[in-house]
Order: sequence, then C-alpha cells, then structure tokens
Amino acid sequence: MRLRAHRTHLAGLLALAVAACVRGGRAPEARGISVTDDAGRRVALAAPARRVVSLSPAVTELLFALGAGDQVVGRTTWCDYPPAARAVPSVGDGLNPNVEAVAARHPDLVVLYQSQLNETAARQLERIGLAAAVVRQDRLEDVGRAAQLLGALTGRRAAGDSLAREIERLARGPALQPPPMARVAIVVWDSPPMVIGAGSYLDELTRLAGAANVFHDLASASASVSLETIAARHPDVIVVLADTGSALPGFASRPEWQVIPAVRARRFAVLAGSLFGRPSPRAAEAVAELRRSLEAVR
Amino acid sequence: MKWVALMVVAATALGLAVVLGPAHVPWSELPRSDIVRSLRLPRAILAFLVGGALGLSGASLQALVRNPLADPYLLGLSGGAGLGAVLAIATHLAGPWALPLAAFAGALLAMALVYRLGLVGGGGGQLDPRVLILAGVAVGAFASAITTAIVSLAEATALRNAFLWLWGGLSGASWDAVLVACVYFPVPVVVLLAAARPLDALALGEEPARHLGTDVEPLKRRVYLAASLLTAAAVAVSGVIGFVGLVVPHAMRALWGHRHRPLLPAAFLGGGTLLTLSDTLARTAVAPRELPVGIVTALVGVPVFALLLRKWTAS
Repeated sequence: MRLRAHRTHLAGLLALAVAACVRGGRAPEARGISVTDDAGRRVALAAPARRVVSLSPAVTELLFALGAGDQVVGRTTWCDYPPAARAVPSVGDGLNPNVEAVAARHPDLVVLYQSQLNETAARQLERIGLAAAVVRQDRLEDVGRAAQLLGALTGRRAAGDSLAREIERLARGPALQPPPMARVAIVVWDSPPMVIGAGSYLDELTRLAGAANVFHDLASASASVSLETIAARHPDVIVVLADTGSALPGFASRPEWQVIPAVRARRFAVLAGSLFGRPSPRAAEAVAELRRSLEAVR
Repeated sequence: MKWVALMVVAATALGLAVVLGPAHVPWSELPRSDIVRSLRLPRAILAFLVGGALGLSGASLQALVRNPLADPYLLGLSGGAGLGAVLAIATHLAGPWALPLAAFAGALLAMALVYRLGLVGGGGGQLDPRVLILAGVAVGAFASAITTAIVSLAEATALRNAFLWLWGGLSGASWDAVLVACVYFPVPVVVLLAAARPLDALALGEEPARHLGTDVEPLKRRVYLAASLLTAAAVAVSGVIGFVGLVVPHAMRALWGHRHRPLLPAAFLGGGTLLTLSDTLARTAVAPRELPVGIVTALVGVPVFALLLRKWTAS
C-alpha cells in the first residue's frame, strides 16, 4: 500500500518535471504572465520582471537561489543572505515599506511579505501602476509555492519548479531517526521566556531532524510561557538562535533558569539566525546542521 | 475586622501563588520541589512587594497632586524606564542586570527632569502639583518619542524584545530580585508611611495645611521623591505594571476612608494582594502559555473597582 503510494508520487513528480522542462525550454515567455499570489490577487506582467524590489529577506534569498539575483534592484535593510544581496541598494524596511523609496528603484515587480502591515503598501503600489506580488513565507511548504510563483514572474519557471520539488521531497520525506537527545525546547527570548510552537518553520525543521519540540502542542508560531512550564516539560536540549558566534545565551547562567535540568547541564544547541531564522531554500542544509548540533550535545 | 480580612486575603493570595502553577507539583513535595523553591516562592514574594510598592506610591501621589487620576507612572517614569531599556539593548550592554539598571537609570533621569520642571517661583522654588503633572506627561511623551525613533531605526527584533521586557512582568523573578527589593524598598516605604498624618492636612489644601503647622514644601518633595524612587525600583525588577497603582488606592479609600494613616498601609497590602493574585492567574489561566500580568491586573482590578465605586457613590 505504502509502496504504491510512493510510486504514484514518483510518477507525479516525473510528470511535473517533464512539464517543467517543456515550459522552461520555451525561451522568452512571450504572451505575458499571469499568476495568483498568496493574497489571492492576480498579478499580470507583460514580460518576465527585469527589475524586482524584494521586501523580505526570505524572498531575496529565494530570488538569488532561483538565479534571478541580478534582476533584484532593491532589498530591505535586513536582507543579509546571500552575501551578494548586500550589494543591492536597500529601500529600508520590509514591513510597512517606504513606497516612494521602492518606486525610486523603478521596479517592474515588487514582492511583499504577506502581513496586515503591508496591505496599504500593496494597494498604494498598485495605484501608482507598479505590479506587486504578496507571498507568505512562514513555513517550509511556503518556500516551494513562493519558488514557483517567483520563478514564473521572473522567467525562471524551471528553476522555481525544481526548487519546489526539492522542498516538497524534504517536507514529505521521512524524518531522521531520533538522536540520543531528542526532546528540545526552542527558546527565542528569555525575559519573558518565549518558545517556538507548532506553527513555526523551526518546529518543522526539528521534526525533520528527528527531534521533538516539547512545545509542539502550542498551535501558534511562538508563545510566552513560564520557566516552570519549560522545566516541567523536561527538554533534553535548549535550542537558541544567535546572530553571530556560538556563545551560550546570557540566561544560561541566571540562577532562576537553573531549575531546568538542560540549562543546569549546559546542554544547548546554538544555531545561526540567518540559516534558521526564516524559511529558506537552504532548508535541507538547516535540517542537517540542526541534526549535527543535536548530536554534538553531551 | 477589616484588617483581619485584608490580612487573610493577602495570606491566601500568597499561599495560592505557591501552590498553583502550570507544572503539577504534588502536595507532599511542595516544600522540597525545586520549582516551588526557586521559581514560585521568589515570584510570589516579588509580586507582593512590587504590588505593595505600586499601591503605596499611587496612594501617596494621588494625595500629593490631589488628582484622582494620578498613578505611579504618571510622572514620566514608565517613559524614562522604557528609554533606558531600549538604549541598553541598542548599545549592546551585556550582563543580567544591564536592562533593569538601565531602566532604573532612565526612570531616575525622567524623575529628576520632572522634579526640576515642577519647581516654580524664585529662591529654592515651590513644587507645584499641577506643573508636576504637566511636566510628567510631557517628559513621558518625549522619552516615548525617542524610544520609538530608536526602535524604528535600529535592529528590529532585539528592540521589540525590549518592550517585551518592559511589559513582561514578573517572569524574571529570582531570589536576587527579591533581595534587591528587600534592601531597597524599606526606606521609601517608611518615608511614605510616616507622611500619612501631614498628607491628611495637605488634603485640605496647601494654605490650610500650612495653618495647621505642616511644613508643606519639604513634605511635597519628600513624598514625590520617595514615591518615584519606589516606582523606579519596581520598574527595574518587574517592568511596567498598570492599574495596580491607580485602582488599589481608590478601592482602599472606598473601604477605609480618606485618612492616610489606615489608607497607606491598606494600599500596600491591597496592591500586593492584587498583583500576587493577578500573577497567579497570568501563569495558570492559559497554561502552558502565560499572559502579560498587566492585562490581568486590569481584568481583575477594574471590575472590583467598579463595584466599589458604585457602592461608594450610592452611600
């Protein structure tokens, strides 16, 4: 039964791949492009976008991964990956963006992160005649859909479809065998203590790395909880994100945190924020890296 | 009788705060549990001390500026503390006490500025309550504006977290914080409690109080400085917690009347009780998640206050 499902899946992938090759092969996508973005709006372009302003670090990273890096003419202050992205002029913030600064880059496509804070900006961009696409980038499956959407809009369908398949394979594939220290609490802030719940990309990476998030029962992406709750759930390892370096977080030595055995035993996994902090085409790399960090904990 | 009832309620609140929590600790293990000894107990004590401090300084400031809307943060303290906390994060000050100390320094700076602006007239000047309120609101708004400017220009996530800390309540409670509170609080608390009788005279107005032999100027300065220093320390150990300092003094006035001799200690006990109960609710109501305690103090405090207000205005 499982085997058959697997085969059907493979056949589907194959069909997709063939279709992608056929479409990708037809060089200039002449008759215009029309797609539906994650906000359900139609985005129509006469030709693949040549000047794209990306208003989200995850989108910038994705555009470079699709090979559309030299079409990116504007980015946010927070776009730090890949290193080449830093050479692109910044237009400021990605949430509640400065529409004039965006327009000054003369884009033929603006990509916004889906958020209430960006609804006004999307409407304003439309009003001044700039095509705007809204993409959601919160979870692993969003990466694949965004890759196809951005691939279509930038004339890189083949790359977008192949990246989407890669992400799909990772997301649907089996999780790794549990490491010896498999129960983790992902602590993103210490005062008040905030942890990652099931609604987050980090929770998905944790599952794929064979580990279990002890706060998987929380539906939201993150939540503030008391130290007592963290202690009562007995995580084996505390996972934290750091912008630079791998030093233990400040709370590791605070007396009230020693109630948590993993803190007392200094069992921490410190992950790089730029790889783990946002859904990215490097998800497989992130899973492998998380796995390595968890196995290194003694 | 009323005092006994208040004491019993206060003791019950403290007891509940130690017994209840999101983690299940069996009765037999309560005295030995690490969770109770190093998390619940210091947190309950700190909640009681901070709530008491806010209740007491709210009652004293309402008497000083003779305005029922006065609360401990009215005079620019929360704005100053917020600016201090955000600056500490923006300049990457490290260490566990960097944030509380910076918030304390910010609150003190705001307090000094408001105090200077509140001194009007020649010579040493007189502390004018109306000018104090205006200066407090203006300095608070100015500090908030600078804070917002820094937050919107600099590294976003870390600075948003400064606000989380500022409104975060008692989640960082530790024995260290309890120790700091126990060493620091007694002096301003005693100064305020000792000002009870002259504050009764001040309630009649500054002129009548002077005729009754009250040394009005030193009294106003003493009360202002003690209440602000108390609030600044409360902010440093627990962030900004609203409603306790506003609602508790009025509730206690409804029960004890306007005389400050009973009112001030009642406001301390009442504030401590309200904050301890609110924090217990904040930790347990939506477990495993936790609510910001300032929301719970409003949700618990305002209905109780409304009932008392009705009873008070009916009689």
